[in-house]
Amino acid sequence: MNRAVDPRELKVHRDDGVAKGDVLLEVKDVSLRFGGVKAITKISFDVRKGEIRAIIGPNGAGKTSMLNVINGFYTPQEGTITFRGVERRAMRTTDAARQGIARTFQNIALFKGMTTLDNIMTGRITLQKSNLFAQAVWRGPALREELEHRHRVEEIIDFLEIQHIRKVPVGRLPYGLQKRVELGRALAAEPALLLLDEPMAGMNLEEKEDMSRFILDVNSQFGTTIALIEHDMGVVMDISDRVVVLDYGRKIGDGSPEEVSKNQDVIDAYLGVPHE
Amino acid sequence: MLYREAGDFKTTYVADMQTFPIRGERILFWLFVAFCFAVVPFFITGYWEKSILVPFLVWSMIALGLNILTGYCGQVSLGTGGFMAVGAFACYKLTTAFPELNIVLVIILSGAVTAGVGMLFGLPSLRIKGFYLAVATLAAQFFLVWCFNKFGWFYNYSASGQISMPTRTLFGVAVTGPDAPPWATYLVSLTFVFVFAWVARNLTRGRLGRSWMAMRDMDIAAQIMGISPFNAKLSAFAISSFYVGMGGAMFFAIYLGAAEVTEAFGIDKSFDALFMIIIGGLGSILGSFLGAAFIVVFPVFLKNVMVGGLGWSTDLAAHVEIMTVGALIIFFLIVEPHGLAQIWRLTKEKLRLWPFPY
Repeated sequence: MNRAVDPRELKVHRDDGVAKGDVLLEVKDVSLRFGGVKAITKISFDVRKGEIRAIIGPNGAGKTSMLNVINGFYTPQEGTITFRGVERRAMRTTDAARQGIARTFQNIALFKGMTTLDNIMTGRITLQKSNLFAQAVWRGPALREELEHRHRVEEIIDFLEIQHIRKVPVGRLPYGLQKRVELGRALAAEPALLLLDEPMAGMNLEEKEDMSRFILDVNSQFGTTIALIEHDMGVVMDISDRVVVLDYGRKIGDGSPEEVSKNQDVIDAYLGVPHE
Repeated sequence: MLYREAGDFKTTYVADMQTFPIRGERILFWLFVAFCFAVVPFFITGYWEKSILVPFLVWSMIALGLNILTGYCGQVSLGTGGFMAVGAFACYKLTTAFPELNIVLVIILSGAVTAGVGMLFGLPSLRIKGFYLAVATLAAQFFLVWCFNKFGWFYNYSASGQISMPTRTLFGVAVTGPDAPPWATYLVSLTFVFVFAWVARNLTRGRLGRSWMAMRDMDIAAQIMGISPFNAKLSAFAISSFYVGMGGAMFFAIYLGAAEVTEAFGIDKSFDALFMIIIGGLGSILGSFLGAAFIVVFPVFLKNVMVGGLGWSTDLAAHVEIMTVGALIIFFLIVEPHGLAQIWRLTKEKLRLWPFPY
């Protein structure tokens, strides 16, 4: 595999003061209700720094809701979330982004009117500081900052092998490439925790293999901690270090891929239980 | 031949980020600017100034402002006329209260006052979107016009309720009032528009512009990327109103000379500005200019052809003019919903390969 940039030279990761293997994110007794609908009931699990943590479960199990709770989009009625040693329940999504949580979406949420380059540059917005007047004249500090961030973004573009679509508005790109641009946008934020919501949904085998390779590379080369939701069991079992299984908003399994695949509750949830 | 990118390699990011990436285009642009600044002032007549160039420039400024808000940040506004009035009245009050104050500074300060008012009326945008926001800004339009009519303080208690611009000079030359020579008003307007179009270009390509466009394209994803809707939307309202306010001040001070608020800054002005950016191209600096040209200059051109060229009666020409402009708006919107700027962009893409498209 030929790459313009050796990923090891890239620092797409922020120093978050948590040692590898320690708990980076801890979700404790979290419950989330929408009126009478219980989306999540008393779920606890943790994500350790440097691992790939998969969240799986049948449709409607509460996986995406869980991600939305983690990055502050939903506020759970009960329970706490501890990220990098800071405990919280309610927070704004923008604060979650500033603390280093980035994510991709199940149904791609790119900025369709903007180019690939601008989309990925948007990922660095929380790291940009120049003021209004500096930006208005586009000289000195604003330009210097722009170039610095452009340089980092170009490295991500090289890493994801999307140089040829740099200046194409993302609305015109095929689905597989859009998914990749979205991963690039999340990486550009130098996240401490990267949340991926079905990164391989709707992809063909080759695209899935590419995406798995990118996820593994991001994890091993940058040391980025990843929590992902995925339905393709083959992929989940291959790439994740630990798996948490949800069903009807409850946790029914937690452990290594082998343990989880032998768990009777998990097998029942996926294959169904015969009713007599 | 001029429009070629072959052999024009970019070796730095600065070169790659240029507004006009192709050398031929860059040369043409600067030749055009030089022509506007150095040649036109020597030949400009009162007719060209009053009917074509100054209104075109002033409306370009207003369209730029609205395009920042609607085209870049996706917030529909029907309050443009009201914000123009704020700029005009701020200009009037400032220049009558402090006659010594430089007119350039007065216009910029008028923009700043309008920016404050714009932010205030932008607050509903944090809660509502789309058509509902349009209705909320419509309230701004009616409220502001009513306000300037109702309270005599705004028009210095003049008997007619009108405001009229006293003569103000810049470097010893009158630039407002009845004695201002055409070249002076033209040059002042041109300089303002040139400088602030450049500023708009810079703002829209940097961090701020990206946060606006992100808010426009997908607001939830923007928030999750760490863009605060409060900052993004209110900064768009402030900067947009700043431009519209300066445009309103120029509209009153340089172009009209005297204004009556319901007449000069009615709801039709809001619609004119909106049509300009829709026809010109949402989210495009060039589109603001093309739209302003289409709405302001094109009817004058038509009238000259019909009355001057074909010898038709003026009232017939007036009706045909309205029909033609209306038909063309529909035609352009069907052919290219993204506006004249998009047509220009597509033409350029074809030109890059012309005449050998393979």
